[in-house]
Amino acid sequence: MGLQPTYEPPRIAVKLLSLVCKNNLFEEIEGDLYEYYQCQREEKSKRMANLHYWFHMLNFIRPFAIKKLGQNSNTIIMYRSYFKFAWRGMLRQKLQTSFHLLGLIVAFCVCGFIYSHIKYESSYDSFLDNADDIYRVAWMSENPQTRTPHPMAQALVNDFPEVIDAVSISPIYGPGLTKTTIPLRNEKRDVGFNEANGYFADSTFFDVFSFKAVEGNADKALRKPFGIILSESMAKRYFGDEEAVGQTLSFMGNPDMLEVAAVIEDAPKNSHFHYNFLISYVTLKSLQFNDPWMSWDDFGHFNYLKLAPGADAKAFEAKIPDWAPKYLDWGAESLASLKAGDLKFELQPVQSIHLHSNIRWELEANGSYSYLLIYGISTLFILLISIINFVNLNTAKAAQRLKEVGVKKTLGAYKSQVFSQFIFEALFTTFLALVLSFVAMYMLEAPFNQLVNGNVSVADLYQTDVILLLLSITIVTALLSAIYPSLYLNSFEAGQILKGLKLSKLGGNNIRNGLLAVQLIAAIVMISGSLVIKHQITFLKEKDLGFKQDNLMVLEVDGYDLRTKLVKTELLKNSAVTGASAVSNIPGGQFNQHPIYAENNPSERVDASEMFVDDDVAEVLGLKVLEGRMLSKVYVADSAGRSFVLNQSAVNQLNLTDPIGKQLVWEDNENLVKGTIVGTVEDFHFRSLHEPIRPMIMLMQPLNSNFMLVKVNPTDLSQTVSKIEADYKEVIADGQFSYQFLDTEIQDLYKEESRTLTLITLLSAISILLACGGLLGIISIVIKQRVKEISIRKIMGASASQILWLMNFKYLLIAGVSLLIAVPVSVYFMKDWLSNFTYQIGIDPLAYVLTAVAVLFLIGFTITLISMKTVKSNPVNALRSE
Amino acid sequence: MKGTQLGEFEELVLLVVGVLFPEAYGLNIREEIINQTKRKVAIGAVHSALSRLDEKGFLESELAEGTHERGGRRKRLFKITASGKQALERNHELRNTLFNQIPEMALKIV
Repeated sequence: MGLQPTYEPPRIAVKLLSLVCKNNLFEEIEGDLYEYYQCQREEKSKRMANLHYWFHMLNFIRPFAIKKLGQNSNTIIMYRSYFKFAWRGMLRQKLQTSFHLLGLIVAFCVCGFIYSHIKYESSYDSFLDNADDIYRVAWMSENPQTRTPHPMAQALVNDFPEVIDAVSISPIYGPGLTKTTIPLRNEKRDVGFNEANGYFADSTFFDVFSFKAVEGNADKALRKPFGIILSESMAKRYFGDEEAVGQTLSFMGNPDMLEVAAVIEDAPKNSHFHYNFLISYVTLKSLQFNDPWMSWDDFGHFNYLKLAPGADAKAFEAKIPDWAPKYLDWGAESLASLKAGDLKFELQPVQSIHLHSNIRWELEANGSYSYLLIYGISTLFILLISIINFVNLNTAKAAQRLKEVGVKKTLGAYKSQVFSQFIFEALFTTFLALVLSFVAMYMLEAPFNQLVNGNVSVADLYQTDVILLLLSITIVTALLSAIYPSLYLNSFEAGQILKGLKLSKLGGNNIRNGLLAVQLIAAIVMISGSLVIKHQITFLKEKDLGFKQDNLMVLEVDGYDLRTKLVKTELLKNSAVTGASAVSNIPGGQFNQHPIYAENNPSERVDASEMFVDDDVAEVLGLKVLEGRMLSKVYVADSAGRSFVLNQSAVNQLNLTDPIGKQLVWEDNENLVKGTIVGTVEDFHFRSLHEPIRPMIMLMQPLNSNFMLVKVNPTDLSQTVSKIEADYKEVIADGQFSYQFLDTEIQDLYKEESRTLTLITLLSAISILLACGGLLGIISIVIKQRVKEISIRKIMGASASQILWLMNFKYLLIAGVSLLIAVPVSVYFMKDWLSNFTYQIGIDPLAYVLTAVAVLFLIGFTITLISMKTVKSNPVNALRSE
Repeated sequence: MKGTQLGEFEELVLLVVGVLFPEAYGLNIREEIINQTKRKVAIGAVHSALSRLDEKGFLESELAEGTHERGGRRKRLFKITASGKQALERNHELRNTLFNQIPEMALKIV
């Protein structure tokens, strides 16, 4: 009988079957399937036959047919024994094990926390639909600002096809451009608040910002005059669980002026601005509000654009200088500098505003990219130190396991088995650390957030990319730590090991010392860096600001309310109140600015921040009058706002030699206010120290006060505060009493610095502890290998100090080399970082001296501590046993 | 020791092993079952039943020579053992006794 050619069943299926099927059943099963396949191929298409083959093959995955991974399987037994070895090894050296684990856990925790923090900080505004296509138009001059003219937004939509949507918004500013609170009231329920975070917005608001409506139709809401859109949380405060849409709110004492048109979701935490309510510009326009504020002349609004998907923002930006003159009523000189790019409309991607913008009039305090960078680098350093620790300790420990490897090999272990045992043990430890670090992170989440005022959430870490990253770090750490010992120990013959291989032959010392140096460099950079940062931040916090900020209460007042003056009189009757002054802006806040120039020299113009004050401001704030006098009601010109007080910078920048009595023009938009300079004050830091002191002009405009600065006696503060509240209520019974202290307001300007200081101190402490711990581990192993040497030296007459010096010398040398490398690196980076600051203290060499001394001392101390026991012990004990 | 009960499908397989004597092996047992009962049976199911019967001692088996259509792989031929035969008989008897005990009335109604 001639043999027919047979058909080959799908090879993968057969291979799979051979993997899972019991060996003794494999032949008959495969045979049956094979035969079956032949029949199928005769009758059906190849694909169907293959499908059938697969189906029946998979049908064999039943308990009777598949290989047992049960107790008698070799693999399971081996791995169980590896597990036992690992576990017993860990228990045998509890101290070392806990150090191993602790180091990794700390590093993983730091990684997790900082990663989560960085991720949060860089996630700002990414929740918006089409976030990649949304830009804010900023104005880049020598003093860049976020605000641009109101008509610009819609003009851009009309003239450029690539701009799909645009919206212009503005916070509701009080006099002097202070972000003000608006008294709103629900008369029916009799609830009212001074509401902050109110915005004017174009009707196109929701075309650009994808905030969702909770109640009502948000799109239509902004087209109606006197409509108001509330955030969900605000609606709850005023209307409770009632439906808010259709109800009315009283606005600044005008009963039921505004109708709630819609309720929208609160802006997420990671939004660069947060609204409580929105009022349409339509409302303003319906009031015949012909303020220059709404024109092309006033750079006073926040304009956001949504570009067509994939549109090139840079290319679009380049078209603006040719387009803008169509609308801007400017002189040739300004237009020329716009063309030249000295002045520039810049598109800021909305997602980068939080970390990268930080220019004048930001809607909220922004984050800082440079601090994030510092956190990130510190974390990497800690991770590096910790991984090196693990690798170093593991390789050093391997020397003690030489005999174990020898015995294993004699009993027939393959090289690959020894290898996989080491890998398994390392993986076991690192994974244990990973799991424990998650436990630790959950426990530390709240304290950490409290400590650094952060928004870290461990639950956010359960994402594929983070998990993959952590897993790969874990696995790489394990592999690195296992590869050297397993390869090196594996390279010896079993007999050779058991005969007594000299431990001194065990190499790797150079690698270990190199890694130690890397660790020390990282730690030194961090410590010295944190010292420099600490200096700079303490400097900022303690710098004399040129005014007195202590015991100053800031009351919110309404300048248009004529009773405000009475409040002052009433307060001054209180013996605990030593002074009071109504002002438009407080130091640390935002200031409006307009150009000023000497009347006889109109070409020399400077932008000056303005502050509307009353008689007592210099006394209350402790400002130093340099020349002339402060403003006073006594003079008619002062009360009429025609007398000015300038700060020193304004005088300098205007090049005025003898300012008192000179005529000055204050250009309040179209309104040119001419007046006399009656006095000058010494510069004081009315903005945060991140900015230089700019020119300032002070004048009197009695209605334009937003704040009452009240100087109080610090003794028995709480009673004073309640007395002040009573006084206030006496005069303005229907008002909201709210106050702050100026010094806390000013501290708030340096929130990010405070956080950085805490974090960086914490991180650098961790880094040095880890590095020293690693050193400790290595030394203790090295000493064990050198016990005999030390003993012989002692017998030969070496003193304890000589031996200690011997032990210390090499490591102090390594520390010295590390210092030599680390210090210049650190100086370079810290110089770079300091240059971000307007006011910098510079690098104090003491920081580096301190670091060097601390590091050398800690190393010497660690080594001496460990060696002491060996050095002091009787040499005979070590030498008599071989 | 596993129970020596005979499941329904096991009994079917055991019977078919007898029917196909002496050439009973996995694949033709399956075919026979499909032909005679019109049930859909996977090869794996048959093998699984065979292995259980083998464990219970109702079947014995030996490997036959490999053939060309099996790609040279040997097949396992099954034979009923004495206890297998007993089990079949027991089941058969039990059914008959029970069936005979049914009153004629009961069957008529159906």
